[in-house]
Amino acid sequence: MAPDDNTGHSRSRGVSRRQFVKATGASGVALSVAGCTGNGGDGGDTTTTTGEGGGSNAGITVQFGADSNFKKVQPEINQILHDNGLAENIKLEVLAGSFTTGDRQTKYKQILNAKQSSPTILMMDNGWTIPFIARNQIANLSKEMPGSLVDKVMNDYFQASVSTATMDGDLYGIPLFADFPTMLYRKDLVREAGYSDSDFKSWQTDSMTWQKFSNVVKESLEANSDKDYQGYNFQAAAYGGLSCCDFVEWMSSWGGAYFGGFDNLFGPIGDREITVTEQPVVDSINMVKHFINGGNPGGKFGDYAGNISPNAVVQYKEESSRKPFQSGNVMFHRNWPYAINAAAPKYGDDLGVMPLPYAVSESESKYDNIGGISSALGGWHLTLNPNASDKKLDAAKQIFQAITTEEAQLSLFELGGWIPPVPDMVASDEAKNLDTIGPYVDSLKVAGENAVPRPVTVVWPQQSSQISKEVNGSLQGNKGAKKAMSDLEKSLEQIESSV
Amino acid sequence: MATEQSQRTGGGPRTGGGTLSGVTRWMENLSETGFAYLLLTPALLLLGTIALWPLLSTFRLSLFADSLTGGLGNFAGIQNYVAVLTGQRNALLPAPFLPSSLTVDALFGSALTVTLIFTVVSVFFETIIGFGQALVLNQDFRGRRWVRVAIIIPWAVPIVIQGMLFYLLFQPGIGLFIGREGNPTILQTLGPFSATPLANTVDATLIIIVADIWKTTAFMALLILAGLQSIDRTLYDVARVAGASKWQTFKRITFPLVLPSVLVAMLFRTIQAMRIYGVIETVAGCTTVPSLSCLVISSFNNTLVGTSATIAFITAGIIALVVSVYIFKYAREEMG
Repeated sequence: MAPDDNTGHSRSRGVSRRQFVKATGASGVALSVAGCTGNGGDGGDTTTTTGEGGGSNAGITVQFGADSNFKKVQPEINQILHDNGLAENIKLEVLAGSFTTGDRQTKYKQILNAKQSSPTILMMDNGWTIPFIARNQIANLSKEMPGSLVDKVMNDYFQASVSTATMDGDLYGIPLFADFPTMLYRKDLVREAGYSDSDFKSWQTDSMTWQKFSNVVKESLEANSDKDYQGYNFQAAAYGGLSCCDFVEWMSSWGGAYFGGFDNLFGPIGDREITVTEQPVVDSINMVKHFINGGNPGGKFGDYAGNISPNAVVQYKEESSRKPFQSGNVMFHRNWPYAINAAAPKYGDDLGVMPLPYAVSESESKYDNIGGISSALGGWHLTLNPNASDKKLDAAKQIFQAITTEEAQLSLFELGGWIPPVPDMVASDEAKNLDTIGPYVDSLKVAGENAVPRPVTVVWPQQSSQISKEVNGSLQGNKGAKKAMSDLEKSLEQIESSV
Repeated sequence: MATEQSQRTGGGPRTGGGTLSGVTRWMENLSETGFAYLLLTPALLLLGTIALWPLLSTFRLSLFADSLTGGLGNFAGIQNYVAVLTGQRNALLPAPFLPSSLTVDALFGSALTVTLIFTVVSVFFETIIGFGQALVLNQDFRGRRWVRVAIIIPWAVPIVIQGMLFYLLFQPGIGLFIGREGNPTILQTLGPFSATPLANTVDATLIIIVADIWKTTAFMALLILAGLQSIDRTLYDVARVAGASKWQTFKRITFPLVLPSVLVAMLFRTIQAMRIYGVIETVAGCTTVPSLSCLVISSFNNTLVGTSATIAFITAGIIALVVSVYIFKYAREEMG
């Protein structure tokens, strides 16, 4: 939505409208294929019959509602699955859904409301899996899958990821890959300001405070004043990506939260405190206002450099902010790991990556697990459509077994940059040897360990839209941070009490 | 007419009996009005199925409470209407339905007023410019065909592409109209735009109005041109003989005779403008420019079915109200 969400935040690996247009021009054929299969929910039933036609030994084709990135490598994914124990007669058919996460959510809602049987496996954003669980529309994997697999997911996977796929202790989705934003930067430009490889090395895992960060950006801007660079850019358009991610990161790194501690993230709705008017939250908005326009709003940022971010950030989403970085006009850029995959070939060793900066440490913050380096949690889960035929469900369960093996996860990491949702694997030796992303996995691991999930409940879409509206409005200068947050508090209260 | 009918029934030998001829005879004996209604029945049935039934169904949905866990909630009577109109639902919608005050920000931030502003401004300019284009196209001159094509091209552009054009034009650092910091374009220094117009409600509304005028003026021009072409040319000859000036010819002949066409064109445009959604979604997003349809769609997508139906029904009501102004005006033109 719109509310943008209403358009929802653009998928982490997503394609912006601009890229979409480019793709349309570049490969009309590919797009028309994606277009057809995007409607697979409606027409899918006709394709499923082919798989079920024969006897018990005939091949079974399981439909997998995913995106065009998966569609492109469908043969490779099948190979990976078969290499890791999937029976040869089972095939995975990828249906490329819409490019935007919000559209895909709407589509799945239609499919599951109508109790359609295809696709069997649905790839769901961690940001909207819980509402489907609450509506009883996806299968309870704690009941469907063997206990060993469920235990493995519950114990070994990133806890933040798992928490967005569970309800009342039961598992409903298996994290397929995780996503954690980091700060990308241009070492060649920062070097001009007097920083050296030893600095870059320590930033790789330790990051720095926002205060130091702002000064590093300012110094780098001054050292490269011959060209009109953007210092630090991020995504602050009034869309789901601001409320789920960018704002959560600033706020958490100051020790603030929407609903108090971690325990309240997923409810109880209407019975938890709303904490957006607390000082750390207000401070974090004022800091970003200072980054954009300077002027030290709130009076705490005398030691912070101001005017290091372009005004355009209030209109930026993932792709609109990444394009200028990719074309060489930005020094520091906050984005999801796909941006590393895209930028690494261009900048080579000059591409630096570090976990996001912070303001207070975790021990200084009022709430547990909040404060210090904070990365918004992204990523997608595999869920099971309970309306599919038993035969397909059985095949899908075998696919789940194969895709959760360590080898399969590493192969997917290498194939498409899909980060394994398992902390131990992210920075494993095998991962470090991967071609493009290998050198950056240490930063990703730190980001993953400090991931903060968004507070997904059935009312999150409405809350998200109010949050992004108020924060974006304040960053544009329409409202002071305090006023915006007290208005937001009223809206959130109204929403919480509407249930 | 009566004689004609009696001639029809009386004349000619009748072959066969049976039901077919019975039906034929029944039809032929129908009165003029009865026959008219008989012919209209299929159209009315179709209209009832695809227009009236959904409207009534929407009304029924609007009487039920929202249920966030899917489906419909309990019967709630007019509670949804009360809640939407008194602002109790504001936080659940991307923007309030009614403005909270009469400041510029509040007016542009509320669905009803921003839709009305959009409708009035865009239909006004589309009518004026469309009328001008139609007058030009009504003349005979060399290359008229090409001018016609040029005028109609925007109308043929799909909404998504149109949205993309304007989105890119106003994207900082990329678009023609918005420069980077330290290097603003003339539209920013002299004109109305801030550095980030697509994130600013007033700027974005202006851009969407311009985008709409760019595209749909051609539609107005075509309808008005049809009206102009149906004017009897001999009237102009009479005017010339009588020594009327160009202005007098326009005022006394062209304008009164083309006015019904203009009103019909404005009627269609107003209905469409009140339902604006596609351009908004592609250019600026519903959070920035919250039209009535935006509210309906986003609340529906958030499983607030009752609220969504309520706003949809109110929107239909408001459109009916606005449209009735034209209908009465048009009826008077017809009579007078």
